Formats: sequence, C-alpha cells, structure tokens
Amino acid sequence: MADPITLTIDGKQVNVPAGTLVIEAAKQVGIEIPAFCYYEGFSLQAACRMCLVEVEKMPKLQPSCTLPAAEGMVIHTESPKVVDARKGMLEFLLTNHPLDCPVCDKGGECELQDMTFRYGAGESRFVEIKHHVDEKQWSPAVYYDAARCILCYRCIRVCDEGLGVGALGLTYRGVGAEITPSHGDHLECDECGWCIDVCPVGALTSGTYRYKSRPWEMNYAGTICTHCGDGCKTTLSVRNGEVIRANNRDRSGINDEFLCVKGRFGFDFVHSPERLQSPLMRRNGKLEPVSWSEAIGLVSDKFLEVAARGGSFGVIGSTRATNEESYFLQKFARQGLETNNIDHHRSGDVATLLDALSGKTKALATVNDLYTAKAALVVGADLAQQHPLLAYQLRANWRHHQSSTYVVSEGPVREDQYAAKSVRAAAGAELAALEGLREDLKKHGDLVILFGASVKGDAVRSLVAFGDSLGIPVTYVCLVDYSNSRGAMDMGVLPDLAPGYKAVDKPGMNIDEMLTSPTLDVLWVVGANPLEHTQLKNEKAFVVVQELFLTETAQRADVVFPAASAYEKSGTVTNVCGEVQRLKAGPKVMGAKPDLEIMGLLAKQMGLNLGIWTPDKVFEEIRRSVRGYNVALPVIATGGAAPTMPVNGRIPVSPRPDLIRPSGDTLFTSGTLGRYSRMLNKVMEAPGQLYKP
Amino acid sequence: MLLNEPHPLESRVLTRRYVYPQKDAIGIDQYVSQQGYDGIRKALEMTPEAIIDEVKKSSLRGRGGAGFPTGMKWSFVDRKSPKPKYIVVNADEGEPGTCKDRVIMEHEPHRLIEGCLIAGRSINSNRGWIYIRGEYRKYIDIMDRAIADAYARGFLGDNVLGSGWTFHLSTHTGAGSYECGEESALLESLEGKRGNPRLKPPFPATSGAFQCPTIVNNVETYSAVPDIILNGGDWYAGLGTPRNGGTRLVCLSGHLNRPGVYEVPLGMNMLTIINEIGGGVWKGRKLKAVIPGGSSSPILRAEECDIPADYDSLAKAGSMLGSGATVVLDETADIVKVLSRLMAFYAHESCGWCIPCREGTAWLKKILARLDEGVGTKNDIDMVDQLATSMFGRTFCALGDAAAMPAMSYVRKFRDEFEAKLNSTQVFVPAPQTQPLVVL
Amino acid sequence: MGIENLWESMPKINEILSGAAAIAKGMTVTIKEMMNPVITDDYPDAPPVFQERYRGLHVLQRDENGLEKCVACFLCSAACPVQCIYIEAADNTDQLRISGGERYASVYNIDYSRCIFCGYCVEACPTDAITHGHGFELASFNTSTLIYRKEKLLAPLPEGTTGALKLDHPVAVGDAGH
Repeated sequence: MADPITLTIDGKQVNVPAGTLVIEAAKQVGIEIPAFCYYEGFSLQAACRMCLVEVEKMPKLQPSCTLPAAEGMVIHTESPKVVDARKGMLEFLLTNHPLDCPVCDKGGECELQDMTFRYGAGESRFVEIKHHVDEKQWSPAVYYDAARCILCYRCIRVCDEGLGVGALGLTYRGVGAEITPSHGDHLECDECGWCIDVCPVGALTSGTYRYKSRPWEMNYAGTICTHCGDGCKTTLSVRNGEVIRANNRDRSGINDEFLCVKGRFGFDFVHSPERLQSPLMRRNGKLEPVSWSEAIGLVSDKFLEVAARGGSFGVIGSTRATNEESYFLQKFARQGLETNNIDHHRSGDVATLLDALSGKTKALATVNDLYTAKAALVVGADLAQQHPLLAYQLRANWRHHQSSTYVVSEGPVREDQYAAKSVRAAAGAELAALEGLREDLKKHGDLVILFGASVKGDAVRSLVAFGDSLGIPVTYVCLVDYSNSRGAMDMGVLPDLAPGYKAVDKPGMNIDEMLTSPTLDVLWVVGANPLEHTQLKNEKAFVVVQELFLTETAQRADVVFPAASAYEKSGTVTNVCGEVQRLKAGPKVMGAKPDLEIMGLLAKQMGLNLGIWTPDKVFEEIRRSVRGYNVALPVIATGGAAPTMPVNGRIPVSPRPDLIRPSGDTLFTSGTLGRYSRMLNKVMEAPGQLYKP
Repeated sequence: MLLNEPHPLESRVLTRRYVYPQKDAIGIDQYVSQQGYDGIRKALEMTPEAIIDEVKKSSLRGRGGAGFPTGMKWSFVDRKSPKPKYIVVNADEGEPGTCKDRVIMEHEPHRLIEGCLIAGRSINSNRGWIYIRGEYRKYIDIMDRAIADAYARGFLGDNVLGSGWTFHLSTHTGAGSYECGEESALLESLEGKRGNPRLKPPFPATSGAFQCPTIVNNVETYSAVPDIILNGGDWYAGLGTPRNGGTRLVCLSGHLNRPGVYEVPLGMNMLTIINEIGGGVWKGRKLKAVIPGGSSSPILRAEECDIPADYDSLAKAGSMLGSGATVVLDETADIVKVLSRLMAFYAHESCGWCIPCREGTAWLKKILARLDEGVGTKNDIDMVDQLATSMFGRTFCALGDAAAMPAMSYVRKFRDEFEAKLNSTQVFVPAPQTQPLVVL
Repeated sequence: MGIENLWESMPKINEILSGAAAIAKGMTVTIKEMMNPVITDDYPDAPPVFQERYRGLHVLQRDENGLEKCVACFLCSAACPVQCIYIEAADNTDQLRISGGERYASVYNIDYSRCIFCGYCVEACPTDAITHGHGFELASFNTSTLIYRKEKLLAPLPEGTTGALKLDHPVAVGDAGH
C-alpha cells in the first residue's frame, strides 16, 4: 500500500493513499466534481473537461480525473475560474446537442440535464444551425442518435475493456465525430446493452424501453435475474404491472452494473402473449381453461385417490423456482405424498464437490472472490457464454489486479484473450491436461477453480485432489446452469438427499426412472420441461404441470396450473457460488400464481398440514432446518448476497454422472424461458454457439 | 525542385550542400563525398552521454513548434530500460504556412537519416520510423530511395558501419490529419490506431511508441544533429543567440516579393527577414501584420515586428516562433477572412476528442463565417474572444490552444477591422434559422 | 255625499300621485337597464359566452398538417397535482406517422372526476399540444364516463388534412440541415 498523503480540497483536509486521483479524493470528503467521461473502473480519458479544477501553483486548470493527488496539494473546485470553465464546457456541449428532452428517453435521468440544471449555461448564445445526424438502429436492442452524443467514450470502454467485445469505435472527426459499430452499420456483439446504461445522455437508447415511459413514471423492483446461475441483481422498471426495462444502475448486488443480454432484455418472456393465465384441464383429450377451484379440486382428489391405493408418485422440481418452493415441494412429496421419487434437471455435480471438500473451510469461492483472487483456473466451460458475470469478474480482476487466468476447454473461448495459458482438451479429458499447468498454478498466492458439467463424479474428487496437491489455498466453483439449480440441490429436490444433503432412508426414483417407469401413476412437474425430447413411458399416468407456458410437458399434462415467473414472486434463490439473494416481486400477470401458493392451495385442499406457505415463513424454516442456510437475515433483506456455509462433513452421495446434463445454453438461449423472449430471439447473434468466440 | 535563390544574409549550415537550381535530391555518393555520414562515424566512437552532452551544449531546441530543448528530451530516455527504444521522426508537416521539412527531405534525405542514426546511438535504439504525411507522396519516395541506398552502403542495418550496432529505419505514411503532427497522436497513428492524442504524462520518453521509450523530434531537429556532432555543440550554439542555438529554416510566405525557405541564424530581426531576405512586401504595399510561427501563433501588428526572431523574444511579444512559418500580410489583407479561413481549417482538423476543441472550433467557424459575410453583430466579435478564451488552456492537447490563440489575438489586435465589416445599417437579425432550435 | 266625498277623497289623489311618482322613480333603474345590452346568457337555450382564458375541457391540438402535436413526453402528467392524466407512448414509424415528433401518445386519458382545471398541464406542455378549451358540460350519472380518451380530446382535423400519415414507402423525416 502506498504511503498516505494529505491534500486540501476546498479547505478540507483529505488523507488518501498516494496515487489516488483527485476526483476520487474529493469524493471521500463529500465534494462532487462533475464529469462525463470519468467512469470508475475504466481507463481515463480526460476528454470531457468537466472535472477541471484549480490547483495552486499550477498555471492551468487541471483535469481532476487524471491528476494524481500529491502531498500538500491545494485544490479549489468551486473557484470562479473553475465555475466559469464548467459553464463554458456545458455551453459548448449544448451547442450541437438537440434540445429534445421531452421526447428523449433519458429525460429525467440525464446527466447532461442534471449538470446544466446545477452548473448553469441555461441560456445558449448559439444561434447557428445545429449539426444534425439521423438516428441509426444498430441492432434490435440498440439505437444510436449521434446528434445527442457528447462523446464521453463510456460505451466504447465498457464494451472493449469491460467485456472484451470491442464492438464500438470512433469514426469521423471534429464536430462530426461519432460512435460507430466495428461492423459499420450494425452491432455484432453480446447485445448486453451496457452501453445504453452508461450513456450519460440519450444517445444510446434501448430497443425495448424506447419511447415507452419516463423514469419518474415507473416503480422499481430490485430482483435477481432468472436466466442463468450467476445471480445478477437486476432492477426491473415496472409501469402498470408491466416490466419495460431492466438494469442495475444503482450498482447494488454482486454484479455492480454488469448484466448480459438476458438480464437486460430477456425479461420480456414475462409478458409473452403465450403466457398461461388460467388453469387448464384435459377434457375429451383437449386442454380447456377451468377455474382454479375446479383444477385444484381435481388434482387433490386424484392425489388422494392414488395415495389411498398406494400408487406411485413422481415429482420433478424446478431449477428456477425459489428455495422456498423447492423446499416446500420436497416437503410436500416426502411428508404429504410419502415418496422419495423427487428429482430435478441436474446440471452440475455440487454434491460430490461438497463431499470432496468435507473437513475444509472457506473452500467455496464467492462471486467477489473472482475479482480478488490472484489466479483462476477455468475447466471445461465457456465462461463468457455460459456465466457472463463470472467471466466479467475474472476480466475485471485481470484489468485491475493483473491476476492470471488459466483455461482448459474443448474449444476457443473469450478468456483466451487475456489468459496466462490456454489449453485445449476434449470434454471429459480436461483433468489430464491440468498436469501441464501445475508449475504455473503453484506460483500464485491463491487460486479459484471453476469447473463445468464435464467434470463430474470421480473427476470432481480428482480435481479437488489436484487442488490440494498445489500447496496453495484453493477455492472452488461448481458451475451450474439455471438460476436456482444450486438451490434445488441444497433444498433436497433429489431422490437420495434431503435438504442440507442429509441421507434419506430409502432413495426414490430419479428423473430418468420416473419417466421410464411403466407403473408411474402421477407425474407432478413444477417448472420444468422433462418431456421436451422424450415421451412418458406410462401413457396412462396422470400428469400435473405448473408452468408459465404450454411447453411440451404441459401439452402432455392432464392439469396445467399457470405459474408466476421469478419476477412476479418473492422468495430467495441461491446462485452458482452458493450465495443466497432475495427476489422482489415486480410485475403482475393476471391469472398466474406463484408455485408456492399453488402447492399451498393443493396441500390445503388435500388436508395436509405442511405449515404456512408464505415465502417468509418457509424461509424461516429453511434457515432453521437446512444445513448451511442459517444466513444473516439483514444481509438478504437489504438486497445483499449471503454466502451459504458449506456442509462440512461427508455426504452420503451416490454419484450419478449420467444424470448431469448441461443445458448448453449460450449467451442468447435460456432454456424454456429463452424460447418465449422476443428480444433474445430477435438479435442476429442468437442462438449463438459455445466455444466459438 | 523549388528551392529559391539563396540570399547573402542567410547563414547556410543545414542547407550548405544545396545548389540552386537543384534537380534531384543529393545522392548518397555526393553526400558521402561531402563529409556525409562523418557525424555518425564520430558518434559511434563517442559514448551516448557524450552525444547528448554535445547536443545539450548546442542549445538546439525542437524545431516542430514547442521549442523544447532537444538534448534534455533525449536525456529523459532511460537507456538501460529492458524495453526496446525507438526513434520517431515527425514529418507530418501540417501547420499552414510551413514547408521546411519537405525541403530537407527533398534535397538532402541522407542528412535526416544520419540525424536519426546519431539520435538512435545516443539512446541505444535499434529501430526508427519516419512518419511522413500522406500528401507528401513524392518525398516518401525520395526517403525510401535514400533509406535503401543507406542500407546498401551499410549505414543502416544489422551492423552499422561495422560497429556491431543495429539500426533499422523505415518510412510510415500518415493518413491525412493535422492532429497527427501532435507527437502522441502521431504515435497512436504509427501504432495503427486512430490519431487521437494521448494522456500525458507519461511522455513518449518513458512510454511512447508501443509503450516503449521513444524520442519524437521534427525533421529539422534531427537534420541539425550531424553538424553539431561534427563541429561541436559550442560551434552550433554560437550561431544563434544565448539559449536559442543555431540556425533555422524560415518559411516565408504571403504578400512578399521573394517568398521561400531560407536558413537564418536564430535571433535575426524580423523586419530584416521580411524586408531583406523576403524582398519586402509586394506591389509596393505597406506591411499590415505578420504571423510569425505558423497559423497557430498569435498575430503581430506591423509596429510590433521590430524584434529578434527567436523563441524568447517572440514569447515576450506575446507570440511564438512555432514552426518558423512566417506569413506576411499586406495592407489589403482582410483579417476577418484570414481568421475565418483559419478557423475553418481548425474545425475541420479537430479530432473531436475533447469538448472545448470539438464544439468550440465548429462554433467559432460559424460565427466567423457570419462576420466575414458581413451579417455579424457587435456581440459576435466579443463572443469570438470569449469563446476562444474559454477554450484556451482547457483542451486535451495543443490543437485547441492553437485555434484559440489566433482567434483571441486577431480580434484584440484588429477589432477595428472586425467592426468595419459589420453592416452598420443593418438591424439585428438573428442568423437564418432554417431549423428550429427544438427539434422534436 | 258628493262634495263631501270629494273632499274626503282629496288626500287619496295625493297618495296616488305620490305613489305613481315613487313607482316611476323605482322603475327608472329598470327602464334604464332595459335600454342597456343584455349580459345574462340564455344558457341552455343559447350557447354561453366565455372569456378567452377560461379553463374548460382540454383540447389536444393538431399542427397545420393535421398531425397530433403531442409527443407523449409525460410532462403534463408529471405536472398534474391530482394525477388525472394517463399516457402511453408509442413510436412513430416511417409507415405510420401520428405526431410530428419521434413518438406519439397511443393512449391519452384525462380523468375529469379528478381534474381541478388548474392549467398546470398546459403550462408544462413543451409543444403546446394540450390547451384548455371552453367545453364545460361534464355532468354525468356515471363517473366512469368521466375518463376522456384521446379520441374525445383531440381537436378536429384542419380542412384538407387527413391526420395520421400512412406511407407505403419510408420517407426520411427531419434531415434538414444535414
């Protein structure tokens, strides 16, 4: 750490480490120095000249965004010279900036508006004709209005430095200079839309939010993205019960401002016209809408009847449902239906990892650890495609802390750009390739190992053994695909493990056995699509489905309940690193109910006593009874991420590597939900391909 | 070839081998037979420190415009750095009125090559580039030819003159931007990127081309070095005034009888240059004003011109020597038109990186065009001054200052002319507004 | 009785005369007013007359081409102290142009059971799209009929215009001064 130095800003003494930028030092004492081009965490530009300050003994005004603080510096941020310079800059900026605030999407949350309001230049002396360029559409998600652009280069930097995509550049010069996609007239990129978020003015506008509303017209709900396992916080902007925008400008959550295309634009499945809004019941071979009471009544009668005659139930849980729903479902199955025939679509071998790590503490990495670790090893995953947040964290770590990243994958990945070493190895043969990296990995102070679904079963134990043999602190992340894959396992939606990875007396049927069993009487599917590529063996089985859409499984069902999406309900989810975060209901879709409520109504109808079915109460029970989930409530309640303590002891796991099936989702696909998102299907990069950067 | 007839008042050091009229560039044989490449021969026997000391003693200052002491610049390079060190020649001669680098490359390309070799030797460099503006196609060809000849004779290559030292040199073509004459923008362009200036510090001496220590100097600066090494720094310093060593090329243009490029010792009186060497103002007219150092330098009224033309004296007079392009305006010159044209140039050449330069030059251009057409208002004149003032010293690189300085000086010194151009009978009418301010 | 009666009736004549004088005096105001122009409105038999600045039912104005002036900037609804204005915005396309700007109000409702006719919306409007008209007959037996939709608020089309522009082929709009 550099020696602390003392400088004076507007008469206030500030102690900062040497090398701190003056603009940051000013922040520490509550002095705001306005700036457009300065953006924390990205390279310095000094282009907007808004942050000029007066430094004693320096003849010229200095840009505080590039000026390192020095001992004894005396800085004035509100002297007449500085105020005049700011006013001048704003006046220059507004010369060619169209004053179309009433129709500009940014109106109300525009930095240029705010600064003009605060620092003057309300009247312009500019009477010439403004330089005008027509608006362009770069992609279904991104529009660019060059006339509004103030050229702060934030978009170029987040794209290039933040994501390693580099889809934007600068063309022309002088007053005609504008941002241009590297493909000329269109974007071929991640379509993440971060450039739209960071734009301080309305130059970059979003294809989904465009012209829809104004910032003060909306309600905001900070919830967790439901598309992949990374657990990014996404703040939904809701107007009249409809989500019209998703972003995370307040930097709350584990992902700072980062969101991928699914987080920013993939919310539109919620309002897809194909959403189910009424229970459906099969009559005369056709699914017809019925009332809730009728549907609940029928399912309850059927369940009771099958239970009475000792028939067999099969329950398939969801990888997207909340922890509370997964917990309640397994409780329903094990206590209410008295069966262990419960499973879900597994996409990573978390149980084996936890077993292999038994006896170790602090062996699981959090999302933030990826930003602070000295080195990272990615095994068998295309991180930028499958886990964009983790990829972003690793890249940020490399940019800011010069960390080293090692990749072992079956094809080229984006991490190769900055990886210390990249090794190609066929899926399943990755471990053999690790030996070649041993000497390199040993050099680092600590290491995070991230492994994909191709490392499963005994391979996980070998990987942990390899980590142990390095002689440095090693932490692990088992990559799973869906937003609550991790939670479903922790909550015991497994035939052989109860919540907290406790053994059950008599393991039930797994997902494959249920689907192929000729004697299965009832199949109850909650938020999953197991029949996407297969048929149910027992054609006479009674199938109950809780789903958002009429999927292949729902089409086979006898009763379909319209379920609410993750954005419409409260509860908690656990991300790929085992951090618990809270969902907050934003939009409303008429007719749909959260899965927890559906299960609760069913339990009530059947006369089962499974406890109160509100998310808060169920979570309380989870905290009490599930190992590792006794997390601090205030952390979760305030929108933070609480890491779950790993199970510290042997897990009676019977590994079934064959049941671990990665979804193979790319950046532009998201299982069932992705099929119903218009934006995810509209962008030209969709559906994308793994290992093809 | 256009070198003008020599004038007896010139002191020809750099141009001593030129003959008039000269058809082709001085070839390698002629150059070598006239003491050519003796400088590098001598330098190869000297230590790098000694070379830099000699250059420091000569008080040679950068001839590109800023006038930074050359020896000092070279001494900033860390010769022991494990990184490669580079020599870059700034031959992106874009300043309106300047045409001296071209004369050097056109007549005596080997002098530049020799200068690069000595500079390279002084910092242990093995690689150099000559960044020539794309419009100088002819001189790029001449330089390429000369470099090929130098390679053939062993002056360049893996074993320079049998010393075991490697030095490679090649030309690099600019793509036509005034901004690329700024050293950091030039380096960006050299690296294949858009020619935007870089953040300073770090300066090129610590992190220049490809993040390596780099010396960037003007063609004329490098070309002066062989004689300094050959004859000693003290000899060179003695040619000029204290702290302003040596001779320099003056590009005389404008309303003169004998415009052209002349070599004069630093510190020669400005009026002597104009009236004697330049043959006086043409058509028997009176002198109105002089732009002493390229279009970016503040203008001097006729009565301010009786001063020595060196860095310090001109700075004292509120102007600058710049690139040595002296533009003479006679009494009929329309100052408003001159400034309007200049501002159109700067607005066209502004790279767009920072706000004050990008928006300021474009705005000034529009106001000045209005003033020039006689539809301006008194307010506009003040506004030119105010806008230039709010640009000056606040831009990212020197281009904004280069545009602001003439604007301020022209308006302040020739306000009467600006006012005379206003149509006195005209009532205030805002500029024609074909497009509403609020575009909805 | 004759004369006596007459004598007796004399005071009565005086009374009559003084009474008549009083009536005449009293009537002067009336008669004078009868000569003055009438200021009472014959509403509902005849339409009432309003001051120019009367703040009545809102009118959404059109421009000279019949396009809507409203660009759905939401400033009226933001300015409204009783939140009676509801707007949904939509995008003008090259094929269908509703307003002169980039966007238009696809839904524009004013809830007159809430509106207090303060005029803030008119003041806030950057395009002079919303104005107060002179309409005032709002009474209704059903409050739900008091929510006026855009169709009801829009000014009539100027003569010779068709309102929305429907084009078969795209036309560049607003590239003057390029």
